[in-house]
Amino acid sequence: MEAGARADDLIPAGLASFGIVADEVDLAVMAAAHAMFWPPILALLELDPGDLAPEPFADLSAPPPPA
Amino acid sequence: MSGDAVDLTLRGQAAALAAGEADAGELLDATLARIESRNPAINAVVETFPERSREMLAAAPAGPLRGVPVVIKDEWPLPWRAQRFGAAQMVATRDPVPAESGPYRALRDAGAVIVGVGNMHELGAGSTGNVSVYGPAHNPWDTERCPGGSSSGPAAAVAARLVAGAVGADGVGSIRYPAAYCGLTGLKPTFGRSAMAGHHMDGISTTIVSGPLCADAADSRLLASVLFGEELAGGDAAGLRIGIVRDSVTDDVADPVRDACEEAIRALIEATGGSLIEVDLPDLEAAALATVLIANSEGMAGLSPSRLNSLDPELSPIGRGLLKYRMLLPAAATVKAHQVRTLMRRRLAAIYSDVDVLAWPTVPAVAPPLQAPLVALPSGTQTADQVNVRGAALANLTGVPAISVPVGFEGGLPIALQLQAAWGRDELLLDAAEALERANERRWVEAIPPLAETAEPSGA
Repeated sequence: MEAGARADDLIPAGLASFGIVADEVDLAVMAAAHAMFWPPILALLELDPGDLAPEPFADLSAPPPPA
Repeated sequence: MSGDAVDLTLRGQAAALAAGEADAGELLDATLARIESRNPAINAVVETFPERSREMLAAAPAGPLRGVPVVIKDEWPLPWRAQRFGAAQMVATRDPVPAESGPYRALRDAGAVIVGVGNMHELGAGSTGNVSVYGPAHNPWDTERCPGGSSSGPAAAVAARLVAGAVGADGVGSIRYPAAYCGLTGLKPTFGRSAMAGHHMDGISTTIVSGPLCADAADSRLLASVLFGEELAGGDAAGLRIGIVRDSVTDDVADPVRDACEEAIRALIEATGGSLIEVDLPDLEAAALATVLIANSEGMAGLSPSRLNSLDPELSPIGRGLLKYRMLLPAAATVKAHQVRTLMRRRLAAIYSDVDVLAWPTVPAVAPPLQAPLVALPSGTQTADQVNVRGAALANLTGVPAISVPVGFEGGLPIALQLQAAWGRDELLLDAAEALERANERRWVEAIPPLAETAEPSGA
């Protein structure tokens, strides 16, 4: 099974698991959002940051400290 | 003078009032009359409160904006009005209540007079401004076009010369998109540097900042100084080292936008005696997605299945669907998004040792139609939201400042260049924007939409 097909099942399954009610319009909007976001999310999950050292409690007002 | 003062720049109004050449009460009345006459065509200002404005004026201290009218986005509470976030329901961790927000206090203490609340894209969740509980704001350059979002109303109000300055907020490009679409100068400050207290996401969001929307860089410097609580000194941007990347943010762009931005960069190099440096900055698409995921996850603090099952029926269908979709986003992706944030912050720290600013188009195409916010790019026709985020998100993800400046027109609609700098170098961005204005003889910052051509601006 392709990732895309499994992803198509995510919306009804996810809504059901949370007990969230959705009408047809909700589902149409969610399907459009899913088509936009899911492929790059899958790509993001495969992104290998290598030996990237974490930056705990990052101060976003300043550059990161040396790794 | 006071009737004409409504068409002055922000600093021109402040100077005229301070010199006694204009009367603050008359300027307030003229501004309210201007809003009443021009606003129906653009729906930029969703509420005025003349008595509150007069009370602010009566109590205004002798600050840098004493008596100057401004608009504030519907994202900030006021002591007499809770924010609505452009929505029938906010779904936040705490219910909105009237309050003294940081931007309100900064404006009040500077002597400014808040004359109205600016429209915004519903829940801050769009780059176009075409969805709002108040109905969409319209672009003053073409009222059938998007004004940009989510700070749609503040931008449209300034572009239509209802006021000379407005306060917006930028969590994923929300000051820069409307600045670009409306032909304004919009500054997204370094994270944490501008007033944020009282925002419903203060202490939760790691991307949102308040910032100014004005006609030009000098006005933006003045309003940013108020929001920062410190005077932002001017410099000359001499020897500016401009970094460019080869990526979708520069390549997948409409031809007129690319041409105008490349011309602006050439002009900026010439004006500052600067240089052009090509830099390697991969994974910008991943950075854009990471920003959206982090912003969405932070926005989920107020969500629960029970709340999602009792949403206000007046929320837009898009807003309802997106709120529910957020619940399904995998936590692993958000964790990965934070890794991308670290990666991009380290890359930027290295890049900014070699360049002073990074430059690329703010948005890849001019303002799309309100009824169908699609843009035609070399890669094909796409939704504006999908492609706008590519160029804007990096600054929110990493915390660096960014500014959108007008650099041309296509079909009567503004084109904009974005400049980004290292953390804390907001002043340099304003210096560079002013250098660019001088280089193009202020052609773009002084352009006025037909809707606002009843009087010429003056008073720089």
